[in-house]
Amino acid sequence: MVISKEYFEDLVVGASRETATKTVDKDEIIEFGREFDPQTFHIDEAAAKQSIFGGLIASGWHTAAMAMRLIVDTFVRNAASTGSPGFDNLRWLQPVRPGDVIRVRSTVVEKIPSKSRPNLGVVKFSTEVLNQRDEVVMSLTSIAMYNRRPNKT
Amino acid sequence: MPKYYFDDFRVGQVFDTGPRRVTKDEIVAFARKFDPQPFHIDEEAAKKYMFGGIIASGWHTAAICMRMSVDGMIKDAASLGSPGIDELRWLKPVRPGDELKLRMEVVEVTPSRSKPDRGTIRVHWTMSNAAGEPVMTMRGLGMYARRPKAA
Repeated sequence: MVISKEYFEDLVVGASRETATKTVDKDEIIEFGREFDPQTFHIDEAAAKQSIFGGLIASGWHTAAMAMRLIVDTFVRNAASTGSPGFDNLRWLQPVRPGDVIRVRSTVVEKIPSKSRPNLGVVKFSTEVLNQRDEVVMSLTSIAMYNRRPNKT
Repeated sequence: MPKYYFDDFRVGQVFDTGPRRVTKDEIVAFARKFDPQPFHIDEEAAKKYMFGGIIASGWHTAAICMRMSVDGMIKDAASLGSPGIDELRWLKPVRPGDELKLRMEVVEVTPSRSKPDRGTIRVHWTMSNAAGEPVMTMRGLGMYARRPKAA
């Protein structure tokens, strides 16, 4: 069976969808923090209690990485996407704590056909990471390059 | 005692750090956890893609940038976390064996209006490879405590 790929043409501005969920694990928070963001509120539970956050919180980059994994598992595997030049307006809005259950909501906000490369288009998404209370903990404008649907011969 | 409080930052201040060598094993380990696309985890499959070999996940490059920022400055600072990043661009692939250097430049210093004990700095990050090519740039925010008044 051939699963049809999702091309630039298949994305609809305004369309929104959500990924599966991920439970945030304390040991994973500390492991990521030790490797990439060794600030006390990411790696030391006792010291984190004394910080402005009142407890251990995930590195914002860990939240971003967990969101990427949810996006890869749910959307990217089937997308005719050729990577990303970057993102805009990332905001870490709420702390992510051990035991939180996060998911990603992705909404197409803009589609821009490439002028120089007729086989490509740029798609901008409003990407929101939500927790189990439906609070937006992180938001950003994601930018992805998509292949255009090949002409049928 | 932190070396850098909010009061110690000035527009134009520069922090340089690195080089840090990126290994294939760490690229694959990160991507298996967070970004398991073939061009990040599978050397043979990666050859068939436009990059012609394994490249680091952009989120891995960002995480390495964070670690280099901590090592190069934030570990000595009264950091209160970050509200966010205005703009990030992945400009060149990061490949196994690349040696990355990071420059952080303070571009804006803003005391908090509502909370007199802290302020926000805006930083421009440039991460470059050994050839001196920027591989990633970022503009974003960091929040820092103000220096406590002497009692």
